[in-house]
Amino acid sequence: MISYIVKRLLQGLLTVWFIATATFFAMHNVPGDPLLNDRAVSDAIRANLESKYGLDQPLGTQYLIYLKNLSQGDFGISFTQENREVNDIIREHFPVSAILGILAVVFAATGGILFGALTAIYRNRLPDFIIMILVILGISVPSFVIAAMSQLALVSFNSLVGVTVIPVAGWGTIFHMLTPALVLGLGTMAYLTRLMRSSMLEVVGSDYIRTAKSKGIPAPRIFTRHQIRNAILPVVTVLGPSIASITTGGFVVELVFAIPGLGRYFVQAVQQLDYTVIMGTTVFYGAFLVFMVILVDILYGLVDPRVRLEK
Amino acid sequence: MSRNINQPKSSPKLLDVNKLAVEFDTYGGVVHAVRDVSFSVDSGETLAIVGESGCGKSVTVQSIMGLIPMPPGRITSGSALLRGQEILGTAMIQGRDIRGSEIGMIFQDPMTSLNPTMSIGDQIAEPMQVHKGYDYRKAYSEAIKLLELTKIPESTKRAKQYPFEFSGGMLQRAMIAMAISCKPSILIADEPTTALDVTIQAQILDLLQELQRETGMAIVLITHDLGVVARLANEVAVMYAGKIVEHGSVEDIFYRSAHPYTLGLREAMPTNDPDKQSVLSPIPGSPPDLFSPPVGCGYCARCPWSMSVCESKNPEGFYLNEGHYSKCWMHHQQSPVKPIELYFEQQTHG
Repeated sequence: MISYIVKRLLQGLLTVWFIATATFFAMHNVPGDPLLNDRAVSDAIRANLESKYGLDQPLGTQYLIYLKNLSQGDFGISFTQENREVNDIIREHFPVSAILGILAVVFAATGGILFGALTAIYRNRLPDFIIMILVILGISVPSFVIAAMSQLALVSFNSLVGVTVIPVAGWGTIFHMLTPALVLGLGTMAYLTRLMRSSMLEVVGSDYIRTAKSKGIPAPRIFTRHQIRNAILPVVTVLGPSIASITTGGFVVELVFAIPGLGRYFVQAVQQLDYTVIMGTTVFYGAFLVFMVILVDILYGLVDPRVRLEK
Repeated sequence: MSRNINQPKSSPKLLDVNKLAVEFDTYGGVVHAVRDVSFSVDSGETLAIVGESGCGKSVTVQSIMGLIPMPPGRITSGSALLRGQEILGTAMIQGRDIRGSEIGMIFQDPMTSLNPTMSIGDQIAEPMQVHKGYDYRKAYSEAIKLLELTKIPESTKRAKQYPFEFSGGMLQRAMIAMAISCKPSILIADEPTTALDVTIQAQILDLLQELQRETGMAIVLITHDLGVVARLANEVAVMYAGKIVEHGSVEDIFYRSAHPYTLGLREAMPTNDPDKQSVLSPIPGSPPDLFSPPVGCGYCARCPWSMSVCESKNPEGFYLNEGHYSKCWMHHQQSPVKPIELYFEQQTHG
């Protein structure tokens, strides 16, 4: 198990290096010069930046300088914001995005597993129909529509009560987090529900469930000890990519709910050609996703003993 | 000679199944899977239920165990008495659970019949936790003892392993250990050796026999393999198209077969006899459609001796001697074909 984890981490490191390299060369092929626009910096700063990043040097040298800084955890200084290191931006705003994303994934996973199992058990009966209709809505309606509609609903709810129970936008308390996390996780929750339903239906009809019944195991125990754990396997498999889609989809939701997350800076940096911020946030997001996927793989090994032994 | 099938009962048998009928609702109509099946079995005895695929063997035992999904399944009539008490439609008698506690069951394909994400030891321990109220540690150590009892080497290590680390034969041993963990009075074995290769088959059958000698449990064995029947069974019930067509001791069935279907089955068995090796005579035709089962004898369309009465009237059971009956009009006093001719055929055919 240890060697498996070490191996996966090394692979992850390789992936991150690849992401960093690809980002670097892609950025250098983007036309334009951030130091030459109308809000141009003074010659002194320009000279400083050029010497720090070797911008007057050939591309290969620049790449090596970039890698060297990266390996020391230095993403550089923002080209457009005064006195801001990329590390500062990440340190300040990533935790917000991370909390939102993790909350959304938790919502999506628990909701998906629960509703999926429920629809399978109530197959072709009323709870199944209702949940499946909601699932189709959740998959097909884009998150910014749901975000706006949920804000509208919150406004009327708060005005009905008279006080602000759940804030419509902003960040700070747990009440600020609930709605955006729910909206962000909804699409994934719908997808996981469908997956869990089909997986659960397969498990319910399987031979080993018949065996468990023949052993006289009570239905609730069969559900928790035999059905859920086996049905959950495909859901765990797609959890890695789901985290990816939730974090990247977070930009829109952060914007609608005015959340000071990393997504806003990422979009802003692209618009302003802020090289270091783009590269820094991309590599950081990449590394984060790679780490999450590895975490899910390890989790998978814990759920399925057949994976655990493979070296 | 001929008596009616319903003999007066003495003391209640361990398991007494009476006139059981099971139907399934499908999109194509109602399937009459089991029609009027009666049998009984006593402690220490082995009853084999034989018949071809789809004749209702498995449905019969699964409905006794309450494993038939309802709906679409339905037990339309009949009773199953365990020591004189009805078990159909109930989960408990006298404070004991039926499933897993009074009756244990093993299945055809051990590879898919065990939970892939639960260790073997945990799976064997589970019934003891549920039925006997053992705590986990006690149940687990009992599970290791059961693995030893079913002759699995290195049982402590094996108990920690998962089904994918076991071979088919070992899995079936683990299944048996699980089924007998609460010392059931009856073990139902639904084609226990069909998915295993021949040498493993023999080991599993020996194991079942040995366990039966030690515990005195009754075994109800479902199989289509007459070789397995000959090895294990005391009594045999031959099923065809949802009915038991012949019932008797293993000697009755093999040496004094009375029903044409039993004869057909025996003819269709491969043999080591050098004179007959090349000839394997299958029963021509196929079983009747159980969506609309025939009014008369289910076998008459394939029976070489069928008479006009066979099509219109369902034969009753005719007792040929104590405990041996056959549901065939041939045994009727007015039948033009005499059973004696059948016996003659048996001698010529072996």
